[in-house]
Amino acid sequence: MKLFEKSAAELSAMLQKKECSAVELTQDVLDQIAVAEPQVGAYVTQCEDTLEQAKRVDDARANGESLHPLAGIPIGIKDNISTKGIRTTCSSRMLENYVPPFDATVMQSVHCAGMVITGKMNMDEFAMGSSTETSYFHQTHNPHKIDCVPGGSSGGSAAAVAAGEAIVTLGSDTGGSIRQPASLCGVAGLKPTYGSVSRYGLVAFASSLDQIGPIGKSVKDVAMLQSVIQGHDSMDATSAYRTYTNLCDHLSGDVKGLRIGVPKEYFGDGIDTCVKEAVFAAIRQLEAQGAVIQEISLPSTEYAINTYYIIASAEASSNLARFDGVKYGYRTASYDGLTDMYEKTRSEGFGDEVKRRIMLGTFVLSSGFYDAYYKNAKLVQRKITQEFQQAFQKCDVIITPTAPSPAFRIGENINDPLKMYYNDVCTVTVNIAGLPAVSVPCGRSSDGLPLGMQLIGNAFAEQTILNAAYSYEQIVGGFHVIPEAFCTGGANA
Amino acid sequence: MKIDIAHIAKLSRLRIEPEKLEKFETDMEAIVNMVDRLPDVTDELTLDQDHPMHLREDVAVEHKFRRDEMLSNAPEVQSGCLVVPKTVE
Amino acid sequence: MKDYEVVVGLEVHAELNTKSKIYCNCRNAFGLEVNTQVCPVCMGMPGTLPTLNEKVVEYAIRMGHAMHCQINRVCKQDRKNYFYPDLPKAYQISQAEVSLCGKGYLDVMVDGAMKRIGVERIHIEEDAGKLLHDESFSGSLVDLNRCGVPLIEIVSEPDIRSSAEAKAYLETIKSILQYLNISDCKMQEGSIRCDVNVSVREKGATEFGTRCEMKNVNSFSAAVRGIEYEAKRQIELLESGGTVVQETRRWDDAKGMSIVMRSKEDAQDYRYFPEPDLLTIVVPEEKVQALKESIPELPNEKLQRYVFDFGLSQMDATLIAEDLTRSALFDACVALNRCKPKSISNWILSDIAKYTNETGKTIPETALTPANLTSLIEQVEQGVISNASAKKVFAVIVAEDKDPLKIIEEKGMKQNSDLGFLEQLAKDVLAANEKSVNDYKNGKTNALGYLVGQCMKASKGKANPGIVKEIVTQMLSE
Repeated sequence: MKLFEKSAAELSAMLQKKECSAVELTQDVLDQIAVAEPQVGAYVTQCEDTLEQAKRVDDARANGESLHPLAGIPIGIKDNISTKGIRTTCSSRMLENYVPPFDATVMQSVHCAGMVITGKMNMDEFAMGSSTETSYFHQTHNPHKIDCVPGGSSGGSAAAVAAGEAIVTLGSDTGGSIRQPASLCGVAGLKPTYGSVSRYGLVAFASSLDQIGPIGKSVKDVAMLQSVIQGHDSMDATSAYRTYTNLCDHLSGDVKGLRIGVPKEYFGDGIDTCVKEAVFAAIRQLEAQGAVIQEISLPSTEYAINTYYIIASAEASSNLARFDGVKYGYRTASYDGLTDMYEKTRSEGFGDEVKRRIMLGTFVLSSGFYDAYYKNAKLVQRKITQEFQQAFQKCDVIITPTAPSPAFRIGENINDPLKMYYNDVCTVTVNIAGLPAVSVPCGRSSDGLPLGMQLIGNAFAEQTILNAAYSYEQIVGGFHVIPEAFCTGGANA
Repeated sequence: MKIDIAHIAKLSRLRIEPEKLEKFETDMEAIVNMVDRLPDVTDELTLDQDHPMHLREDVAVEHKFRRDEMLSNAPEVQSGCLVVPKTVE
Repeated sequence: MKDYEVVVGLEVHAELNTKSKIYCNCRNAFGLEVNTQVCPVCMGMPGTLPTLNEKVVEYAIRMGHAMHCQINRVCKQDRKNYFYPDLPKAYQISQAEVSLCGKGYLDVMVDGAMKRIGVERIHIEEDAGKLLHDESFSGSLVDLNRCGVPLIEIVSEPDIRSSAEAKAYLETIKSILQYLNISDCKMQEGSIRCDVNVSVREKGATEFGTRCEMKNVNSFSAAVRGIEYEAKRQIELLESGGTVVQETRRWDDAKGMSIVMRSKEDAQDYRYFPEPDLLTIVVPEEKVQALKESIPELPNEKLQRYVFDFGLSQMDATLIAEDLTRSALFDACVALNRCKPKSISNWILSDIAKYTNETGKTIPETALTPANLTSLIEQVEQGVISNASAKKVFAVIVAEDKDPLKIIEEKGMKQNSDLGFLEQLAKDVLAANEKSVNDYKNGKTNALGYLVGQCMKASKGKANPGIVKEIVTQMLSE
């Protein structure tokens, strides 16, 4: 087995035992990028100094410095997370050449841990999409089936882990953007509790819903990376003051007595049979290990997508107003006056999906419509949150499918926004309620595409959902995330 | 529901190319019709007092950011300033 | 012509003098090189987030207490969305629905009488940057140093009925801001600005007329001129059979006129919504109380006291009340209850003002103490020393803390007020100046001054000139 095929947890142990060096590991990942990238297209920007970064970790280790367990592990960063000196494009023409003068808070944590940054991952433009098809630069392909989408918006981050082009990655999740691509690419991805990871430096899509989170090959990898990035940050007023514990220290596969809620609203007609069957099978496996299963109801789920699109678009319309061709980013070539400059810059700099969302957001906030749309959506948001709170009095974990279907073909949904939005049907409620949820691989479709199961926890109950997910991972004997095609025939095979 | 695309586009400082306008209007209408379906919750929003905001201490820091660094991404700069088309004052 | 009354509401924006900006830790400073007080947060770089400065909340609450406002200790902030090059995020973080301070009022003095002006609200928000224009250049330049400078916006009720009331209201606000030391109030630096809403109606009408909002009013005198101009314009419009249309106008102080900026139809749709990057502001009840207790007696309250309790003129009372150091000295002297408040006021506004102006020192920087000053004034009031001597004593006590009585003693300044002595003196002088006595009796009244002067000379300046004058007059009339 080659290094890039291993999990961060395994590699961490090898690095600490000096069974391999960070430079060897990084080189192995770079070789895999060279092989896989032409087919997958996970990266927007590759860092040129990865080997130097790895060398510094090896030198530090040789000097006997005490290092973080993830020191030397190659990590890819979604391209909406600000990286000082490395362009941060949000996969938009608007920010094609934008180089932030500062690091996002999570990047400071990643640097402190001594991780090796491989580059910036492709995504749907400004994180708006579920297929990575709205990227201005190129399409990212699903490593499991190259003519299928990797999901989105963190499609590059999920595809890179699945193809071994990075050991772990950071994504961001506003309505499912970590979990849905994780599901479609057969990897594990965590959307943390709102407020547990600093948003400082994450280019905002919908401020009240956005969270940065980890993607990895295993539950442990996700737990390790989450432990690095979580924590209070004084630069983010919405960041939660609390004590954060290392999630790996308490990772147990014990689900005895764990109360699992299964909400019937998440297994309706819109969900593919193969997905439902796979998730039910997984639930039964957990039950066999001692978990207690109960059916629950979250009746306001039917309004979740509507609520989500109103709130997210409203915030986005305001957050994306700053892209006006004045301070940074794209400016149109020729213009006549200020308004013309604004309109041409924004019309040329943004793609159609971003424009649709800005327009929707502007509409729901505009005079005369605010109460009917935005205010009403905020009220429904409160209702959805309350229903979850009630549910968590009866259960510890709620299990649902992550996505309604396995990966779809590139181009299949791109011209039908509503069909595309439906991809978020199982995931948006979690963001609306600010809860943590992890998606883990859960069987395959008949044509071999990965399926995903979502485990939702109460606020700040990351440990609980990761434990349950870890238990499932043990039951199935680990997730085999890298498809055969990318395991063999590599440059050094 | 019909929405005034031209007005919303103006507010958003966006322009839709004429050849895309028809599809754009159809899509927008479909999206608005979708989100339109919400229950009427007859209630008032309240402020969340359970999570009061921590305020920042009033301390100024000497600058870590140089001007050229702050302006390095700007499309047009002159005399240490950003340049925009003349604003009517 | 019908009898009209003007109805004015004011929105005053005051920059707070905190050390750092409202949402980032950049320095809050004026007049530095363009774009040097700028960081990713106040420049609105993608991914940056605001963090609210606690002092801004405190200052706003203090101003709220000073204006008798209800304090909304639980409130939030909202985004006001609009595109303009001086607004990097393309939204201003402000307060829409719930402001930090709610309804209140301000008592101001206009022509010696008190007038109560209602306050609708006070909210906190961030200032925008500056656009620089140069004829030689085809575009405009943007300086973002001022972005994120904390502002409070004080919105009055439409209670103001004249430009004089508006001026009194604005000046009172300015003096309070300075008293509380929460704003520098430097007009030329734009640290206090206002928008003026003006309408007119027939006297006695209960409905308000259609109002126009005037922007770009950058001084109090401009506010006065703007209100007068706008009232005249609207009245003329109505008198000629026209109607006032609701619009936003821009005041051009150089030309002395207002011009239409935008009509009601073009009114901006700011699409306010709750700022999702900030949580609820919750100020503990105890803190609201503590801030209330920290408010000193304010200049408008002092003014009332000085005019109505001590009989000072509004002009003199204002000059003392609005200056913290003057009013502190005045109040301390009055408290000693040894001389007339009016005398204290005269000293403060003449000799003391002259001294502080000439030396550039503030009153506390001089050696002057309330005890010494009252003691000196007392000696003058009792006729112990002359005004000329008093000025000499003042020159000493302003430089060193020395008892005026001791100075008077040492320098032999005491006047002789002994009637027997003075009568003898006068008798001698009159006897020696028969010609002048006859002149006086023949109608040359200025001979009196000469005779008094001769008495003073004969006494080597020690005679009490007032009493001497009385005696001489008496003797001449006999």
